[in-house]
Amino acid sequence: MKSNSSNPPQIDTQISKIACPDCDLIQTIPPLSKNQIAHCLRCHATLFKNQENSINRSLAFAITGLILFIISNLFPLLSLKALGLVQEGTLLTAALSLFNEGQPLLSLLMLLTTIIFPATTLIGTIYILLQVKTNNINRYTAPIFRFLRSTDAWGMLEILMLAILVTLVKLGDIADVILGTSLYAFCLLILSLTLLSHSLNPHDVWNKLRTKNRCG
Amino acid sequence: MITARTAGLVSCHFCHTLSKLPKNMEANSVIHCPCCQSSLHSRHPDSLRRTWALLIAALILYIPANTFPIMTFIYLGEGQPATILSGVMHLLESGLWPLALLIFIASIFIPILKLLTLLGLLLSIHFKTHWRPKDRTVMYRVTEFVGRWSMVDIFVIALLVALVQFGNSATVTPGIGAPAFAAVVILTMFAAHTFDPRLIWDTIETNQLDSEDNNGK
Repeated sequence: MKSNSSNPPQIDTQISKIACPDCDLIQTIPPLSKNQIAHCLRCHATLFKNQENSINRSLAFAITGLILFIISNLFPLLSLKALGLVQEGTLLTAALSLFNEGQPLLSLLMLLTTIIFPATTLIGTIYILLQVKTNNINRYTAPIFRFLRSTDAWGMLEILMLAILVTLVKLGDIADVILGTSLYAFCLLILSLTLLSHSLNPHDVWNKLRTKNRCG
Repeated sequence: MITARTAGLVSCHFCHTLSKLPKNMEANSVIHCPCCQSSLHSRHPDSLRRTWALLIAALILYIPANTFPIMTFIYLGEGQPATILSGVMHLLESGLWPLALLIFIASIFIPILKLLTLLGLLLSIHFKTHWRPKDRTVMYRVTEFVGRWSMVDIFVIALLVALVQFGNSATVTPGIGAPAFAAVVILTMFAAHTFDPRLIWDTIETNQLDSEDNNGK
């Protein structure tokens, strides 16, 4: 661990006063040391995190995630061998097969939650974090980051992971399930997405915007 | 105990920057956060009405979601349409009880918990109750967090439909119940999103202010 005695392990939270998003109570946030989390006094909501090196870590996880996401889309996740036939399932066919079975809305939902939102989250996060890192934010930074924050709950790859496990067990006794190349990449993708959402600290981006717009 | 609203401030939903609310604001004017340009609201606009509308729609769709089949699994000429509940019972009969438990929690327990929690929270605000505001806020946070996991059943159907396509010998077709159930999950996710937990605390503050006024503050 690198330590610098002249620099105490504190970040400038910039906004010392914050209103709790869940109960509106105004509180003063003391300087936080590394990996400390400030909770609301009244309702215990998380107000502020001070994570070590969060921009670099998040960027690393996001780039790893994007590479794994591309690999996950290229090859089949699962294949089913039954009655001498093999049926391959990729991320895209899972979404499109519902369309062929007369469920266009469910198909669209699958497409959004398992392909489009995860892709925009990864690409958008990399773009924003690179801007923050190179001190190069422009007028699109805030709207893009707001979009990413509001669509965060709609990327549902980790739920698809659980669904894959359920499918494996369900089909296990009637057919041979072959684990596809993509499945390994997909498991690692879930891991990097989890680590990304854990390490990403939105206030890194908001603080940059506050400095630029001289507000707060 | 001062809240942003009593101090005449408004906190940005996204970046949490506090801004001063202009004194003479016109009824329909919108102010924007100086930091991230998001539109600013002291409380989510029309929070209660929107949450009620979405919740009632979800409650109505919950009926077809459970009574109509979500999928039909035909294997070697055998099989019949399955609803959410009969799917869980079938898994239980096949001895796959961990799977049955998982699907039961994700597809039956969580949606009911979510609908009842939101209903309870809305009613608690309408009746201006002071009952355990902290616990109610925690309940809200849990509801908001677990809601999306109900989607697992829909994803299982999508995977089965994609994989099990072997002509006449084995097929899976989605049923009417599937889009209805997906709609329940989406509507409750939106309902949880439009609900403003700060309303839970507002009733308590109004009361405190009243008593302070009575004491001749």
